[in-house]
Amino acid sequence: MIALSKSARKSLDDYLRQARAYLRGSRTVDADEVEQNISEHIENALEGASEPVSCDELEAVLDKLGDPQQWVPEEELAWWRQLILRLQTGPEDWRLAYISFALFVAALVMASYTSTRVLVSLIFASFLASRAAISQTPDSKQLKAQKWLLYPPLIVVYGFMLGALLILPLLLLIPLAEQYETHFGRLQWELDYWFVAFSVMFAATGVWWGILALPVLIFGKKMTVLLRPFADAYRVKWPLVMLTIGLGVMIVSAIVGLVYYTYFT
Amino acid sequence: MALTGRWHCDIVGVMDDKFFDNWTNQVRKGMLELCILNEIRGQRMYGYEIVRRLRKIDGLIISEGAIYPILSRLKRQGFVETSIQESAEGPARKYYELTKQGRQMVSRMNDYWRSISTVTDSIEKG
Repeated sequence: MIALSKSARKSLDDYLRQARAYLRGSRTVDADEVEQNISEHIENALEGASEPVSCDELEAVLDKLGDPQQWVPEEELAWWRQLILRLQTGPEDWRLAYISFALFVAALVMASYTSTRVLVSLIFASFLASRAAISQTPDSKQLKAQKWLLYPPLIVVYGFMLGALLILPLLLLIPLAEQYETHFGRLQWELDYWFVAFSVMFAATGVWWGILALPVLIFGKKMTVLLRPFADAYRVKWPLVMLTIGLGVMIVSAIVGLVYYTYFT
Repeated sequence: MALTGRWHCDIVGVMDDKFFDNWTNQVRKGMLELCILNEIRGQRMYGYEIVRRLRKIDGLIISEGAIYPILSRLKRQGFVETSIQESAEGPARKYYELTKQGRQMVSRMNDYWRSISTVTDSIEKG
């Protein structure tokens, strides 16, 4: 074994690591055998050199050996290696889209095998990659075909966030139901109780929508940044419609609840 | 006008170079396998020796390391086999030689190459 200087040893280790990593992705080549051949080649090429071999002398041999990425044609690589290559060498504006979609698909595939924490992390990472890609594009119309890769995680995360935000008061029914069960024993259908409870909750939801509509009305344009690219077409009438619906739901629910409570219980 | 003409020539020149590079890459890929098989046709050789001999053919090898994955693939396909032998000059060497299947394959490849070469020559001569 030929003696190498410290820097030459490091350089050789890096080169072999890179070669190994690249060749592992090949379906037609024995990576260990090639690595062994490369080491043998270097030994032979440096035969007669004064020891310890300097980094410059080693680099001259490595230069002739070439970049390991040139050794195996792309079509002979495993699919995952081809995918990584595409990410490394593909157009800049497509890389984040590929990453985002890959993370999203990974979340879907692993949904039934993994914990909620991992699932949420993957979806959130996919969401961030999509947002980063969209932030790079000044106009969402320029996204074109990338939309198919970028939008799925955005739709899931925004849908969940908006849904939770809009029906927040209705979610209070869950602790209410638990409380009811604690006080009155086994949960059963008590029409009077649930009719009034639903009326109150819907009225509260109406008020909540009214409250939500106000900051949107005041800071509308600034808030659209949070929901890019779907809120790019924001109009002032959106919060006004929300406010109107909220007030409508509140008034109808309150009236129905009060009438039922006064006359039927 | 002259300036525009020169730009046009430069652009066409770059495109021609790219086309030529792509074409030579494709030709080289197949030729390298044929040359390796022919090198070890008559005698067994170790990896570095094959590289040293092929290095002399101008334009055939861009990166010397590319020889080794090809040897590994040829071995997997059963066209070559290896044997280790100690060397007095340095590390133990891995020798490559053709198998029976490899000898048949290289004969077929040489025949094919000769026929292609003949046809392209006759086309070139008109």
